[in-house]
Amino acid sequence: MKAKGAFSPDIIAFCCAQSAYQAADTAGSMRIPYPENIRVIRVPCAGRVDVLHILRAFEKGADGVLVLGCHEEACRHLSGNVRAKNRVQKLNTLLQEVGIDGERVEMFTLAPNQGFRFARIANEINERIKELGPSPVK
Amino acid sequence: MDNGLRLGVFLCDCGGTLSKAIDFSAIKAELEKISDVTYVSISHDLCLERARKVMQEDIKDKGINRVVVAACSPELHENGFMNIIQAAGVNRYLLSMANIREQCFWAHPDKGKAAKKAMNQIGTAIDRARFLEPVEQTKISVNRDVLVIGGGITGIATVIELSNLNLKTTLIEKKTALGGKLNQFANLYPVRVTPGELLAAKLKQVTERQNIDVLTSAELIDVSGQAGNFTAKIRSGKKELVRNFGAIIFATGCDSQSPGQIYGLEPSNNIVTQSQLEEMIKSSSKVEEIPQSICFITDTSDKHSRVSSFSVLENALGIKEKSGGEVCVLCQSLQIDGAGLERLYRDCRNKGVLFIKFDIPPKILKQDGEIRIEVEDVLMSGERLTLSCDLLVVEETSMPPLDSKVLSSTLNIGLDARGFYQENNVHLYPVASNREGIFFAGNCHADLDLMRALTEASNAALSAYQLLAQEKITVEAEKTMVDPDKCRFCLTCIRACPHHAIQEFRVNHEKMVAQIVDLACQGCGICAVVCPAKAIKSKDWSDEQILAELELLGEHV
Repeated sequence: MKAKGAFSPDIIAFCCAQSAYQAADTAGSMRIPYPENIRVIRVPCAGRVDVLHILRAFEKGADGVLVLGCHEEACRHLSGNVRAKNRVQKLNTLLQEVGIDGERVEMFTLAPNQGFRFARIANEINERIKELGPSPVK
Repeated sequence: MDNGLRLGVFLCDCGGTLSKAIDFSAIKAELEKISDVTYVSISHDLCLERARKVMQEDIKDKGINRVVVAACSPELHENGFMNIIQAAGVNRYLLSMANIREQCFWAHPDKGKAAKKAMNQIGTAIDRARFLEPVEQTKISVNRDVLVIGGGITGIATVIELSNLNLKTTLIEKKTALGGKLNQFANLYPVRVTPGELLAAKLKQVTERQNIDVLTSAELIDVSGQAGNFTAKIRSGKKELVRNFGAIIFATGCDSQSPGQIYGLEPSNNIVTQSQLEEMIKSSSKVEEIPQSICFITDTSDKHSRVSSFSVLENALGIKEKSGGEVCVLCQSLQIDGAGLERLYRDCRNKGVLFIKFDIPPKILKQDGEIRIEVEDVLMSGERLTLSCDLLVVEETSMPPLDSKVLSSTLNIGLDARGFYQENNVHLYPVASNREGIFFAGNCHADLDLMRALTEASNAALSAYQLLAQEKITVEAEKTMVDPDKCRFCLTCIRACPHHAIQEFRVNHEKMVAQIVDLACQGCGICAVVCPAKAIKSKDWSDEQILAELELLGEHV
């Protein structure tokens, strides 16, 4: 295992194409830097993200997973973001039970123009995962 | 690797700006090593016409059957690239994009790391491309008639717009006559026509048109079917009619309620609501019949309503002009936007209407038939004033239409927290419901003044026209589809679909399965996740495609 200081976590961010994906674009357009190790996967709605997708990400070696969707009451598909939130909450406890810190997965909500918020979330989760160290699944 | 795939990778350095950070020819050399990558090209301006032509020819010449584009965000030009590859004879869904501009070079100042990430992004897009599936387009026929519910001014304007667009419409109204709320109003600021004149002009147009069918004393009972082919059951008088429509527009308006309880007062002959006052103004022909001193109270309930502000100011001005008596408006801030409202406010002040602004709602006392109001005037540093008046007019708050609850559950359309119809997205789809083919216009879903309501009427009519412009419309066939062999008909997807796009279907006269209606489906993929049997597949965002994007996780960026 690498030394803690040099540890660069692999983080997957499932981003809703209606909001969070565009927020990531906004961050880029405004040249707001965020860690390179955040990898964005575009999904049509946060509700499209299955527990299976998140678990597979950990299986493949992710150290943290973000699910980013629209703000509540602003989902293009009405309930997609709420479904995602509930799924992630359930997964938190599930991961804890199998020995992966539940804090490694979290759901946030954004609007398409919130480039700063996207970068802040990316930095925050990066710091958190660095603190937690590499995923035990690796 | 021989999987029959011939991948074409098109790299774009965005007018040379991206190649400052990364050596595109090195990426090209790297990509050419991948066995199923047939062709790699570097372009400087894929978004421009000439490069698009070259791209199209390349796809044809090299026999490419999967296209990967590494360029700017798919949010910008994805549709354009889909059109190019479709023109080149490849299915438009066989496109995978790597966002190396916004989400890589623009966001990461460290050039070395950004270059590494870009390579990873392109690799991921290639992994995804291997699992892409074609989605065919088919044409389906739609019914071009439109049902408009609600015969108020919004509904009337909507049917006239639709009739201009050559669509046959049916307008249904619960009451015996058309006109709705407009019948109540005494005047309309800033237009210099009376509500009666405006209504008469519109109604004349409605009766002149051949393609408008008006049903009064009629109610919508039930709707089945989907966008393009709705079947509506309508009770008209004592008869029940069944008619087919392609789209439905709600223009049911709102009800109003007087918040009398706030003041602890019962309405009486000298405490009236806005609409009662309108009645009084309309019926009193003589100036002497109008009370000499009138007070209006507004802004006491926290909702700032455009309709109510307009009517308060309109009536204050109207009465001042007619009788010349004392008119006083008690308000908190009157901070409401509306075309002409500021001018109306100024007109009121110039004519001598008194505005008193309060922070704490005024106390209203009734003594010997006379009304006394105690109020602290903010503009006079909280000085306590006592006013007496002959008539007190209290504001009305708008309430959701009475039948909205019933209709929303029969039609599976959403309501907001107050019980009004909920538009799909306030900013992006202001007149669309969560269901394809059902639209809202006017005060049934938002608080609008007359001008805005008329704009919405045109907007809703155009949205319906967009759907029904042609008798046959192109849809993506089975973009999301249910595997009838795996489906156990547990109804989970039918309940979960936010757009009510899944219906029951009988296979070969025996087994019931869920079926997704192509025209109504908006492609969110929620059903694919909730299905316990994993019988639903969304072809453009399949599990395989999403999981393929995780393949390169082991490689550190």
